[in-house]
Amino acid sequence: MGCLFAQPAADTKKYSLVSVSKAGSLSIIDFTDPYLSPINYSGLGLGYTITKRKYFKPDNIDFSMRSHRNIIAGIAFNPAVSSSMTFIGSEYSWGAFYHYRKLNDIQILAGSTIDGILGFKSISRNVNNPINADAAVNLNLAAQVRYDFRAKRTRMRLNYEIETPIAGCMFVPVGGASYYEMFELWNLKDAIHFSSLHNKSGLKSSLTLAIYLKKSTLSVGFGSQNLMYEANNLVFKQQIMSLHIGYKYDFYSFKGRKNPAPINFISTEK
Amino acid sequence: MKKRIYLIIIIAGIGLNSCIEEPVKQPNTHFGNLEALWKIIDTRYCYLDYKKINWDSVHTVYKVRVDTSMTDYQLFSLFGEMLGELKDGHVNLYSDFNTSRYWKWFTDFPANFNSKIIYSSLYLGNDYLAAGGMRYNIISRQFKKVGYIYYGDFSDRFTDSKMSSIFNYLKDCDALIIDVRNNGGGYLDLSEQLASYFFSNETVTGYIQHKTGNGHSSFSKPVAIKTPAHKSIKWQRPVAILSNRLSYSATNAFISKMKIAPNAIVVGDKSGGGGGLPISSELPNGWMVRFSSSPIYDASMQNTEWGIDPDVKVDISTTDEANGIDTIIETAITLIIKY
Repeated sequence: MGCLFAQPAADTKKYSLVSVSKAGSLSIIDFTDPYLSPINYSGLGLGYTITKRKYFKPDNIDFSMRSHRNIIAGIAFNPAVSSSMTFIGSEYSWGAFYHYRKLNDIQILAGSTIDGILGFKSISRNVNNPINADAAVNLNLAAQVRYDFRAKRTRMRLNYEIETPIAGCMFVPVGGASYYEMFELWNLKDAIHFSSLHNKSGLKSSLTLAIYLKKSTLSVGFGSQNLMYEANNLVFKQQIMSLHIGYKYDFYSFKGRKNPAPINFISTEK
Repeated sequence: MKKRIYLIIIIAGIGLNSCIEEPVKQPNTHFGNLEALWKIIDTRYCYLDYKKINWDSVHTVYKVRVDTSMTDYQLFSLFGEMLGELKDGHVNLYSDFNTSRYWKWFTDFPANFNSKIIYSSLYLGNDYLAAGGMRYNIISRQFKKVGYIYYGDFSDRFTDSKMSSIFNYLKDCDALIIDVRNNGGGYLDLSEQLASYFFSNETVTGYIQHKTGNGHSSFSKPVAIKTPAHKSIKWQRPVAILSNRLSYSATNAFISKMKIAPNAIVVGDKSGGGGGLPISSELPNGWMVRFSSSPIYDASMQNTEWGIDPDVKVDISTTDEANGIDTIIETAITLIIKY
């Protein structure tokens, strides 16, 4: 995906615009990682998300693609506040969606995404098991409901999104295996697992209000992520509640940014 | 239609979270913490069967001793006593105010080490050199030169470059002594690195397993620990490794490897053991517990938890000690000069 450059005025060919959404978030997090500790750790995290969406073909506004990049980092504590867990997580996902537009002011998007997750949690006081990696690849089902309305002549959109993992694979070490054995002797047996609904369930959802301004769109929202997975007799839990604020814009370059995109440049935000 | 779609979304959200059963978590009470500690050891400690410990009876004995009126200090002391039943120096309980430990693996044995003597002019002397945690000098006996290295902590990192310099300084010596007495361990990879200077080929020097389930004997298949031969730094003359009961954990692993190194002999007392690689867990009240979870074996698949027997068993005699002589060093010198 990249910039689209100025086209001659007579050009009536349609082009797909890339709609970009960037948001920062403050999250309350709750982790249980029994490889590191059987105790639940709670704390705060800061995140940053970039989402890009465009139609596959500008002539067909029924199908769009979405890519999503997210990074979050923070610190959490055990209930006794005698130990801390630092964490960093990243995610990249790509998905395809069908746009259902039969309802007035409401658009429903349904589709599927594939994501790759890589993160690390660390309890520095632990011996020989101070770090655990969160690594997974998931196939997800995703849906989105958009409701367009106006408030005091300002166009707004309420957006509700959910996503749930269906199948994939994940890295989960055996509880008793040390990193010495895994990464010095390269014994990763039983550390890679197939995941599906029998051992991994989760729901990622977010509710966002987009306020369309002259040149860009302001968005504020609330997100939650509940994830639970099990392997090697260990049950892992992640609960993240986020407040996010960001902005959206169509990624293009014409003669000047004051000029809106011509009508033959098709945005998924319209 | 609209309502139906919303309903499906909500039901999917609620329903998908119900497939996995979460383990029961103990409350942060005296009894809850005892149960949590007992269960961690019951399911994850690796030597219960090997040491023939009846952990269920330990539970019975200690549960009745827990009293809700106990102070944290009393509770900690009781838990420390319970963990002492494991007779394992790798098992510790950590709180903000204390660390429990089991030290009988060396306190019940002769010390076989006197730091005042090794720093005397007979051995290291005042002019010893120090690099990467190694203190070294040349000892002269019967027109022969013996390099002497004291290495007291496997947490003290050394590099190939430093070891190359040390060996270069000792290059005219006929033999070498590496003294790892009173070395309580540290990084396992350093024990492998140090051993690699004494091997001429990659050699299987041990095996490791880990717990795979809650059963006391649920272990993974043994994985070979291979000690490589260092590409460029090699000591190919006789070498003696000195051990005592305080040679523990990573030091125990080093001695286990050196037992089968060419041109090497182990002299002194049986090492302290600590063959189980420890990992950490936690109680509901935030106390951390460290315990052995992965048993390490020698090249013959013999457990190393109770220590490694030396090739030549010798204790420091009281007469020698009174005269400022280290019997173990002197025995090692005699052996390697003749080697």
